[in-house]
Amino acid sequence: MSTAIGERALDRLPVSRYKWPGTALLWLALLMVPLWVPWAGGYVELAGRALVLGLAAMGLNFLLGFTGVMSFGHAAYFGLGAYGAGLMLKYVTGSTLLALFTGTLLGGLAGTILGALIVRRRGVYFAMVTIAYGQIFFYIAYRWNSLTGGDDGLRGFARQPLGVGSWVINIQNNATLFYYFLLAVFAIATGAMAFRLCSPFGRTLIAILENERRARYLGLPVERHIWLAFSVSCFVCATAGALYALLNNFADPMTLHYSLSGEIVIMAVMGGMRTFWGPLLGAAVFVVLQDYISSITVNWMSFIGLLFVLVVLFFPRGLLGILGQRGAP
Amino acid sequence: MSLLEVRSASKNFGSLMAVRQVSLRVERGEMRAIIGPNGAGKTTFFNLITGFFPPTEGEIWFGGRDVTRLSAQRRVSLGMGRSFQVAEIFPELTVRENLRIAVEVGRGLALRPWLGRAKARLVRQAIDEVLAATGLTTKAARLAGELTHGDQRATEIAMVLALRPRLLLLDEPTAGMAEQETYDTVALIRRLHRMNRLTVILIEHDMRVVFHLADRITVLDRGRLLAEGLPDEIAANPAVQAAYLGEPA
Amino acid sequence: MLQLLLFNVTNGLIIGAFYVLMALGLSIILNLSNVINFAHGNFLALGGYLAYVLSPYLGFWGALVMSPLITGIVGFVVERLMIRRVYGRDPVYSLLLTFGLAFILQDACRYVWGTQGLPLTVPAELAQPLSSTLFFITGYRVFMIAIVMLTIIGLFCFLRYTRAGVRIRAGILDLETVAALGVNVGLLRSFNFAVGIFLAGLAGVLAGGQIGLNPNMGDSLLMPTFIAIIVGGVGSLTGTLVGGLIIGVAAALTTMFYPTAADAVIYAIMAIVLLLRPRGLMGEEGMLT
Repeated sequence: MSTAIGERALDRLPVSRYKWPGTALLWLALLMVPLWVPWAGGYVELAGRALVLGLAAMGLNFLLGFTGVMSFGHAAYFGLGAYGAGLMLKYVTGSTLLALFTGTLLGGLAGTILGALIVRRRGVYFAMVTIAYGQIFFYIAYRWNSLTGGDDGLRGFARQPLGVGSWVINIQNNATLFYYFLLAVFAIATGAMAFRLCSPFGRTLIAILENERRARYLGLPVERHIWLAFSVSCFVCATAGALYALLNNFADPMTLHYSLSGEIVIMAVMGGMRTFWGPLLGAAVFVVLQDYISSITVNWMSFIGLLFVLVVLFFPRGLLGILGQRGAP
Repeated sequence: MSLLEVRSASKNFGSLMAVRQVSLRVERGEMRAIIGPNGAGKTTFFNLITGFFPPTEGEIWFGGRDVTRLSAQRRVSLGMGRSFQVAEIFPELTVRENLRIAVEVGRGLALRPWLGRAKARLVRQAIDEVLAATGLTTKAARLAGELTHGDQRATEIAMVLALRPRLLLLDEPTAGMAEQETYDTVALIRRLHRMNRLTVILIEHDMRVVFHLADRITVLDRGRLLAEGLPDEIAANPAVQAAYLGEPA
Repeated sequence: MLQLLLFNVTNGLIIGAFYVLMALGLSIILNLSNVINFAHGNFLALGGYLAYVLSPYLGFWGALVMSPLITGIVGFVVERLMIRRVYGRDPVYSLLLTFGLAFILQDACRYVWGTQGLPLTVPAELAQPLSSTLFFITGYRVFMIAIVMLTIIGLFCFLRYTRAGVRIRAGILDLETVAALGVNVGLLRSFNFAVGIFLAGLAGVLAGGQIGLNPNMGDSLLMPTFIAIIVGGVGSLTGTLVGGLIIGVAAALTTMFYPTAADAVIYAIMAIVLLLRPRGLMGEEGMLT
């Protein structure tokens, strides 16, 4: 039936299995970031950036890596999260948490609604429609100058200290405390995703990834499950976007642009799209490389483009994918 | 009332008439074989029954209900289980994981965020039962994609059984199998049919298998219903012989 | 008023013509290779810049012929070296690959020719307005539309009457059967990719003569082109043609009455079409969806 050129003969990478020791080690490293990152020549804000983009890439990968559905429009939900949080802080409230919540809700709901319209499409067509829908929000932010600041982006807001009663955590000026705030949100979001993946629902996603026809002929409402996965991944991306706005005290229209979608996808693939933590690693590598290359040359775009090409041609399994190749069950 | 009734169903692909006004009644507990030369429209007919695509005209009734316009997954949840010519399984998962997904989807647990202790035990028991029934117990921890042809087929049938179907549709269950595998698969189908009074429709090329298993036989030729009857009647039918030998009837 | 209307309709036709040229190229690559070419707009820019380099030696007419050909050859080489290596793999790889190519090509154009816009001079006889009342209808605009129409007719004739074209059309419907008939599918795809890039290069030269050259000139065309393909229906070249024209005219008419909504309108058209006909206007069951 299927030959080397047939569309059903895609080489699906296997989903790698959860490993506890590695996960524990990873959390230890994440907790210790303020200690070792400056020593390694980085700075804590850069680590925060990697963490936030890593969360976005992991959110996208919930769909890409574990359901096998490819969205190239996730920047839209990331950006909506950023604008939601920024607008809330600028015009409505002084509460960082409320802003985070609003951003998450805005991006997540937008994704959920649009997702319902596109779940019947597959493959490159799905990617195309997700890009096109995603660009709607870019144009809105770009054109609606009075509200969003248009091309210049949304400025004039700042994250506020967290207050619980009389107890105040100053995440506003203390970079280390803010990093731990990011890490806490990151932990909740990734914990929720891991929990979902280990449930019967998560297994149905892997079933769709592995063999959509069989999933359908087990009586699984495939479209509904893809839609739910899409929704989860949009909510996570929106959370990441809201955190990004808090990190920079700025919402950039380019966070809504499809070129960021492409970057999020390359982070996931570079880190290993069939692994849970790979996208975080991919994001870290991407952020550090971008930071470094753009500091030494104006032609950093060529290098990022080259990175895309090299990853696709030579490291399709991604960093963690190579480490975790068959053998370890 | 018949379990499955196809009323004069047709399927055209452009100008190609793959199935032309075929009617079929299958009773509960029956083992029916559908045979016919290559290109007779057997798989297309299966696809019509299971809702892979809608018929151009005609109706399909299942369990006293008109399912003509229902999606494939709805028909599965009404009790139609199906295997394919090339076993459709989850190759990168173990046999047990394959079955686990089938059991969870089949029992309506697919959206559960977690399973309680009781439900988890129920799922485990259901998996073990199906493993035992299909002789896969010793292979439960193997990756499905690394099994032999026959065992992959058995895994697929096990997954379908895990759904507790009322009707089992098997598309060439012994295709491409060696002698021993064919024998095992036939024995498995017979056992399932006997034990659970499961209604089975199978497409088959191997005539020994057909005459060994089937209660009744339906013969398709070039999209048309050519004959239907008991195995002896079919064997003696000159039109059927002509169709297989490629001579005009 | 009539003059304004005519002005906008002409603009719409020209924009639509560019969309159609871009979209047809993108579409034949998508249909046969299942690859979305994100770098299509950058190949367009490359075509324009090549014309800029060649026209001092070959004149505008020579550049108009040679530059798309060279762009097409570049496309052929890129396909042979890179794109073909991702066929049959998860489609995410082909998207990422062309995405990276887009970055590289854009940066390369900027590096070689600078960020400043460059003019592409068209022959004086084409730059004249055709009449003094309808000053905006220059010979160049009429010429552009004529070239685009000829190219489209040429493309459809190529696909219908030449052996390679017939094979491409057959391959879009059923690649495996075409391969089984002994056609070298790999080469067919490379050639087809080159044809698509040729169209982008041609659009680049024409656009350069109208609006000048800059490294990002293809970017603003990419999204409307996607939408044209989606609206027309993925898998149908006629659909792409219709989609491109609809999107172009709609954008121009909105620009006339309410300029800020021009982008919004094409997205709205896409959303409505997808709601009413999920496979696009001319998309059919079983096509690449």
